[in-house]
Amino acid sequence: MQLRTFLAKDMKEALSNVRADMGPNAVIIASEKSKSGGVMVRAALDEADIEPETAAPEPVETSSVADFESHYRDGLMRRLRNAPSDTPARARFDRTELMAALHRHRTPDSLAHALAEEADKAQLTDMTLALACAIDKRMTPAPIDLTAASALLLVGPNGAGKTAVAAKLAAHARLNDRRITLVAADSAGAGAVARLETFAKHLDAGMAIAETAPELQKLVIDCVSKKTLVVIDTAGFDPRDGKARSAFAALSQIAHVETLGIVSALNDAEEAAEISAALKTLGARRLIVTGLDLARRAGALLAAATQDLPLAHVTRSPFVASGLESPTSLSIARRLLDENRSTQ
Amino acid sequence: MNPRITAIGSGKGGTGKTLIAVTLAHALSHQGERVLLCDADLGLSNASVHLGIKEGGDLAGLIAGKTAMKNAVVNVPCGPRHSFDLLAAPPGAGTFANAGEAAAMTLIAAVEGARNYDRVLIDLGAGVDAAVMSFAARADETLLVLTPDPASLTDAYAFTKLMLRKTGARAPQVLVNMALNGTEGRRIADTLLAASQSFLRAVPDYVGFIPYDARVPDAVRRQSPLLSAYPQTPASLAIDALARKLHSVINMPASAIGLR
Repeated sequence: MQLRTFLAKDMKEALSNVRADMGPNAVIIASEKSKSGGVMVRAALDEADIEPETAAPEPVETSSVADFESHYRDGLMRRLRNAPSDTPARARFDRTELMAALHRHRTPDSLAHALAEEADKAQLTDMTLALACAIDKRMTPAPIDLTAASALLLVGPNGAGKTAVAAKLAAHARLNDRRITLVAADSAGAGAVARLETFAKHLDAGMAIAETAPELQKLVIDCVSKKTLVVIDTAGFDPRDGKARSAFAALSQIAHVETLGIVSALNDAEEAAEISAALKTLGARRLIVTGLDLARRAGALLAAATQDLPLAHVTRSPFVASGLESPTSLSIARRLLDENRSTQ
Repeated sequence: MNPRITAIGSGKGGTGKTLIAVTLAHALSHQGERVLLCDADLGLSNASVHLGIKEGGDLAGLIAGKTAMKNAVVNVPCGPRHSFDLLAAPPGAGTFANAGEAAAMTLIAAVEGARNYDRVLIDLGAGVDAAVMSFAARADETLLVLTPDPASLTDAYAFTKLMLRKTGARAPQVLVNMALNGTEGRRIADTLLAASQSFLRAVPDYVGFIPYDARVPDAVRRQSPLLSAYPQTPASLAIDALARKLHSVINMPASAIGLR
């Protein structure tokens, strides 16, 4: 791997220096503002380590010269087309293509136009970087520090994956050496308590049921004083629905409790955006988007993450011990552009 | 149960890998684990120098098949009630300077079957030769030590690349040593994570950082174990926290790993 450090007066100049000195395949691996006012950018360059797919040799069954020629030409074209496949993220910026990719991912129209506009303004030649810049303006990544968190209240619609997220958070906190209590604030749902109990047992966590806000408050204060992390699983409801909102409001106002909104990436993108915005007005401070292993279109993720609610994590696996990831604008941009390329 | 094998490597030399290995062995034994520290720097062994003890055991005899495991190790007491075992070549002997994969395999087979230990810590040599990568690929977890030095980044990247090639999918876990603070630690790890993600399509885990601490070189000069000499110094506390983290993974019931 080649490693170079660039000092420049601003990011644009630094990026163009990187391109000029290291070529289009260089990747920025670190950047910071230097004390003298400019920026310092560190870039790396290496051949991608992906084994080229070896296509099965085509059987040659023709004998005439014309057939042989066309076979040869087709083979050559196929190889030329496939050649750059190991560097899929290096497309040049093209606004029409970007719009098409955003639409293929079912991004809401207004958002797609706004992102394309922003990406255009960034004046970067690399498509992925341009989109990442645009996403970066509208999305704030904010991973949860499980070593310091005190009480997390999970809210979201039914089936968004609140209980699974509770288990994942508990598993990760456990790896950070925390004591954990899982709390069911939803004792009415069929099997809801039993499922949480199973997780608690396997993760060596405490388990409690709190039916009312005062009960929950007492529990939280008790746990916080013992430095035990509380993860509270609630009953699913539509956060856009007025009645359900008022029933929930009391829970989110308990001291020490941080409310986390949970939205599934499998929603329709517009629905995901509405739910995310509603969760914010309900007092959620961060968002977790679930089910990225199932969603083939990233529009819902993009729409939910750009509603002014910081994105804490995304989940990408049904297994409790894995897949609580911290996304960045770049990783989301790659998801939108790379996968689109591979499905073409 | 077979012991859990934790390898510690860095690619570049001088990253503080051996000190971390020795101190981790110390801290893990305080967690109640039965620990074997194996100095697999087959060419130039120096864990025993760090510990200030005369002999490091008979690694040569074990690999040649002449000495049994229980006779090849040396017990190293740490604190009044705890101790761990050390398996190393005599310091400065250079016996295995050119030991290849075969010697590495023999050693792996020996430690895998050592059921009287809960954990085997393997201090990998500097470099990324075949023997080092065999250990790294076989271990249950591989800690990769990174420092703020840019050269350590390129070597750590080479280590990650070779390890991915050898294991197919498993990337090492990144530990940043000599960082000024948590922010710098995270930033240094992020550079390796970004490079690996872009070029190798794999994201190593970041396990934490050990702060730069002037007491560390002091303890090394005095040849006394860091945790005994300065139990409350920031570097000691960080390595102790890392030991607890590694220990909690051992403790996590196997049923929780595949739970859904």
